[in-house]
Amino acid sequence: MSMTFAQRLAAIRARLHATPLDCVVALHDGAHFIEKPDPVMVLTGFKALGTVAAVLDRAGAVTLVVTPSWDSERAREACPSIKIVPADDVIAGLKSAIGSGTERFAIGVAGLTALPHGIARRLTDLVSQGHDAEAIVFEPAQCKTDTELAHAREATRIAELGYKHLLEVARPGMTEDELAMELRWHSKSLGAEDNFVLLCAGPHNKAVAPSNGRRMQAGDIIVCEITPSYRGQLAQICRTIVLGEAAPVLRKKYQLIISSMNAGFAAAVPGATMAGVCQAMNAVLEAEGYGEFCHPPHIRRHGHGLGFGATGPGDVALDNATALEPDMLFMIHPNQYLPETGYLLCGEPAVLTPQGARALTREQAALAEIAL
Amino acid sequence: MQTMHPTLLIGPGDWDPQQMPREDYDARLAALWRDHDNASGAIVYGDSRDHAALAYLTHFTPKLEAAMALIPRRGEPQILIGGGINMLPAAKPLTFVSALAPLRNAAKSAADWARGLEAGTGLVMIGGEAMPHGLRSALECALGTNIHIESGDAALQARMRKKSPREIRTLRKACAILDAATTELRHAALGGDCATDCIIKAERAALQRGAQDVRSLFSVDGGRTLRPFDVPMAQRQDPLQVYLAVRHNGYWAEGFVRASTTEDALERKAKAILHDMLAEVKPGLSCRRLQEIAYASCGTLHPLADGMFGSSIGLSLDEPPLLKRDSEAMLEQDAAYSLRGGLIDKGGTGAIVSSMIAVTAQGAAVLWPIDPIDE
Repeated sequence: MSMTFAQRLAAIRARLHATPLDCVVALHDGAHFIEKPDPVMVLTGFKALGTVAAVLDRAGAVTLVVTPSWDSERAREACPSIKIVPADDVIAGLKSAIGSGTERFAIGVAGLTALPHGIARRLTDLVSQGHDAEAIVFEPAQCKTDTELAHAREATRIAELGYKHLLEVARPGMTEDELAMELRWHSKSLGAEDNFVLLCAGPHNKAVAPSNGRRMQAGDIIVCEITPSYRGQLAQICRTIVLGEAAPVLRKKYQLIISSMNAGFAAAVPGATMAGVCQAMNAVLEAEGYGEFCHPPHIRRHGHGLGFGATGPGDVALDNATALEPDMLFMIHPNQYLPETGYLLCGEPAVLTPQGARALTREQAALAEIAL
Repeated sequence: MQTMHPTLLIGPGDWDPQQMPREDYDARLAALWRDHDNASGAIVYGDSRDHAALAYLTHFTPKLEAAMALIPRRGEPQILIGGGINMLPAAKPLTFVSALAPLRNAAKSAADWARGLEAGTGLVMIGGEAMPHGLRSALECALGTNIHIESGDAALQARMRKKSPREIRTLRKACAILDAATTELRHAALGGDCATDCIIKAERAALQRGAQDVRSLFSVDGGRTLRPFDVPMAQRQDPLQVYLAVRHNGYWAEGFVRASTTEDALERKAKAILHDMLAEVKPGLSCRRLQEIAYASCGTLHPLADGMFGSSIGLSLDEPPLLKRDSEAMLEQDAAYSLRGGLIDKGGTGAIVSSMIAVTAQGAAVLWPIDPIDE
């Protein structure tokens, strides 16, 4: 059984109790980004429009400061057991939530370094003796709750439907921008409130990059990360499609990165480290002479956690010693540059079970060809 | 209006010299240096949410990660772009700036660049308040205390407020897209579609007409509150209150719209407020006067229109100044604004309407709605 939201909050509170801190203040500026964890979402489950702050006290009570104030009703609906403080200035709202005499309190802060400087400066004026509380909030959130996992499954379902739609609509003459926008719109029509569609095309891609106005041509290789968010939880699939018939060398090399991904899945078991998963994936590529392409500038990781709340367990990378536990959710994607073919994408969202990593997708990545 | 920020900006953002010639950017940079006599360089930060200044000076819209332009008074600018070196080719079409480099080690890169500028002069910092705190701290540390840094935000915002004829034409194109989207929205709502289907159809209409971005908010309580799209909802809303914003070639157009199958007296009253505001628009019109007009209406002002009557609009949705109660801001000639009026009745039903205008010496040139506001 996966933990519930309440159980995770209790675990965070237990962490707080193990410190001398009076409370934890978490902040997020509402600029949601796939790589930017949101400590407020971890504490409240609320995906904000504007800058928000959450205060967790030692008794376990949570107060949520919501800007803009007109969005507070939505927050009340989303977080019925939490005290909501509507505000048009998050620091003023925070003062009201904490009360006067902040200098007397020992306050932990999560989310400070990612805040816009203009807000962070005022926060540090308010909480002059703030202590780093990132670990208190994020470490218990490395494993997903039952609700987050359910949402990740739905996001994956939408991603796979989006991919089918891509295969139906992608044609030479269409711009990368048009295809990416079509995919995002389509996933919204299926219930995703956002979608990180990183998509580009070319005869020899050096990387997967944001789409631009380039018109796709016959023979192009489309690489895309389709990453819908369902109720604030992201899931991703990574796919490669040829506009036309794939060259034999491309088919062969794609099988290589599939093998690398499979090695990653096999290595991802409870107790293994993210670095170990990365090593297993690299080993497949190294055996074929592609060792130098397993490192920057060609790639920097073979997967990553999935927010928008916590992004733990972090990257599938050689420098990540995080040990895997059941209910961790992360991408396993070789997403590899090979000199003969350019950058190729294949990747699945994986949830760790006691028996090992299981893909949330129904169909594993395979090189696709769009007949012209 | 604040809307839900998407995790990645998707949409056409390439620089097209036919639409925005290089000479326009040269003129903007020349004005920047006139505003800062003693500066020999400018650091301009932008990210996917706050990048109006960066786009104004370089056309660059950071779709994925943040970017920082290093602009010398003499010589060619460069832009440091988030992501690795292999991301640079995809960024090239987005700007006329040819020197692009990865943003990694941004603080050191910027400090090294600043030390190469003319000695004894200062730096202009633009967008520094939006910079992540960690990056800003590292930048200040790397720059040290020997380089004088002044904020260029206020002066640039004043420049950005005054729209050129070309910018007004771009805003009109954005408004035309907005108009098509709101027409589709009304058609869907009056045809019986649920609120989220109406939003999805309106967004599609905008995208099919070349919108760079579309944002939306809608009400499920008769216009009392607004919310972003979360999941599809089967329930129909009548009246349906929606906020839509579309972006075209960098410039935003926004509008509050309602669709009702029955006589909508509240909307009519809200339109009357807006009509009265538009009738008085002229250079120098104060927020205090806008407030007087709003408060003269017979009804309770909607929370979203009580004390907030609109804002300047352009490369961002909420361009300073916000037209707020008791603000000293005044409407300026050649600026573009979004003005709104709204009421809420005793039963909790709310209505908000809005208009986009350019201020001329003669008054308001209405950019949106394309059809005039009727009382």
